[in-house]
Amino acid sequence: MVRRSSPLSVTLRYAASIIILGIMIFPLLWMFRVSLLGPGGIGFERLASTAITLGNYADLFTSSGMGRYLVNSSLVAAVVVGGNILFCFMVAYTLARYRSLSNKLLFISVILVLMIPVHIVIIPMYVLMVRTGMYDTYFALILPWLVNPIGVFLVKQYIESIPPSMEEAARIDGAGEFRILFQVVMPLCKPALAVLAIQVFFTNWNAFLFPFILTSSDELRTLPVGLALLQGHQAIDWQHLMAGSSIAVLPVLILFAFLQRQVVSGITAGAVKQ
Amino acid sequence: MRLSRSTAWLLALPWLITFGAFWLFPVIYSLIVGFTDYQLLEPEWHWVGLENFKQLLSDPDFISALENTFIFVIGTIPFTTVISLAMALLLNRKFPGRGLFRSGYFVPSITSLVVISLIFTSLYQRGGYVAMLAEMIGLTTPEYGFLQDSGTALYAIMAMDVWMSVGYYMLVFLSGLKAIPDELYEAAEISGAGRIRQFFSITLPLLKPTMLFVLVINSIKSFQVFIEIFVMTKGKFDTMTAVYFIYERGLTTEFAFGYASAAAYILLIIIAIFSVAQFLLLRRKAPLW
Repeated sequence: MVRRSSPLSVTLRYAASIIILGIMIFPLLWMFRVSLLGPGGIGFERLASTAITLGNYADLFTSSGMGRYLVNSSLVAAVVVGGNILFCFMVAYTLARYRSLSNKLLFISVILVLMIPVHIVIIPMYVLMVRTGMYDTYFALILPWLVNPIGVFLVKQYIESIPPSMEEAARIDGAGEFRILFQVVMPLCKPALAVLAIQVFFTNWNAFLFPFILTSSDELRTLPVGLALLQGHQAIDWQHLMAGSSIAVLPVLILFAFLQRQVVSGITAGAVKQ
Repeated sequence: MRLSRSTAWLLALPWLITFGAFWLFPVIYSLIVGFTDYQLLEPEWHWVGLENFKQLLSDPDFISALENTFIFVIGTIPFTTVISLAMALLLNRKFPGRGLFRSGYFVPSITSLVVISLIFTSLYQRGGYVAMLAEMIGLTTPEYGFLQDSGTALYAIMAMDVWMSVGYYMLVFLSGLKAIPDELYEAAEISGAGRIRQFFSITLPLLKPTMLFVLVINSIKSFQVFIEIFVMTKGKFDTMTAVYFIYERGLTTEFAFGYASAAAYILLIIIAIFSVAQFLLLRRKAPLW
């Protein structure tokens, strides 16, 4: 449909879009700029200066646990993303292809979890981890998050859109169940699994609440937990805090820049099905 | 197409374990513990019936935490909804650079909430950028910064929450707008309906399902506000919210699992009532607007 726009309305549209863009990205630009400032104030006059230092970043890695936090975040995210690709696919396949009453119940459980507010889980999860000895270990950071219900939902819908004839053909050729599953169906699901991987990575990388309540030692902190506690416990200036924040934000921004479509469809996945 | 029964169960196993151990068990466990006086440091516990619930409803800290939570929910949702819808309408037309704006608006939604809270802690502090801006337009600012004043702290956090959420809901609205067929607008144009008329007679009614989704998701999320509070004020200056209360009672100093679990259930019930109410309101056949 062609709706003619007057030059005035085009100008207004751009003006509004640009102002909003400024408001939305100013805080992050500010964060990067402050992270590159040497010691001293962080007022306007200093932001405009061209002096740039990477010293804050270097300090964080040498004199705080930031290196360790980065390793922890990466390690946990890698395992959780890998686990979700495998497990969400397995569960989604059963849900998509094996029709029975128990399967319907299974699907209901997935939907149910999507609706449970997580605050109800805080205390029992803490007790569970303490009682099983998993409190303050990597298990506590990883085990609860290996199957993401939104991921199951996403992959299930994708598998349902694939005609089962491929699987039938492979079966007639004498391929076993698992061969069909992992060598025929899984490669076809790559687009959905990519969306899933990114969504899980973002959620996990930014997660604060459970990593915070389920660990206590400094060696097990992830980036968000490390940052939040750095601010509370040590005399630390904004330059260093913003350098740490930049380290936490950069991987996410870079991924977003390259994989926008997948990021958006993963994060709005819940909204697709109403 | 048949998957053998045992294979089907085997494939479902990861979810069954996750569901059982990390969702079903906790939900049931906290319901049961809510009726006891269980504390981490007290090996003995007793059934106390509804005592926790009774005590909570007369606990001034809990009541004020609920009040703050309600202020947060009621105060942010209209702004988030209206602003994100306006942003979606702004970007609903194809124009050069649209993709860039859309991505830019979305950036806060993928940024760690801890990081956002840290940035705004600095922006809100005494002599910080927000204070400077406010003074420029002639407003008086709190002496120790926006987050160190009971009159402004909660509202400052709410403003930040609106800022960081609008990008996500804009995308949701955009996908809803895309589903509205162009023919409707063409027909409206032919019959002489202006832009405003088109918005109220076509766009809004057809956005109802999207609107419902946005309202329900946003209120469930807002009722659980915690991370911002933890990073920015630690619940001081009248910013104690329900989940912060649960955290503080349940997982610090006294570790009152029973009391905190009961509080968690009260919040769960409030969230459920709120969601169902929104659902019923928006599902009515008669137009709301």
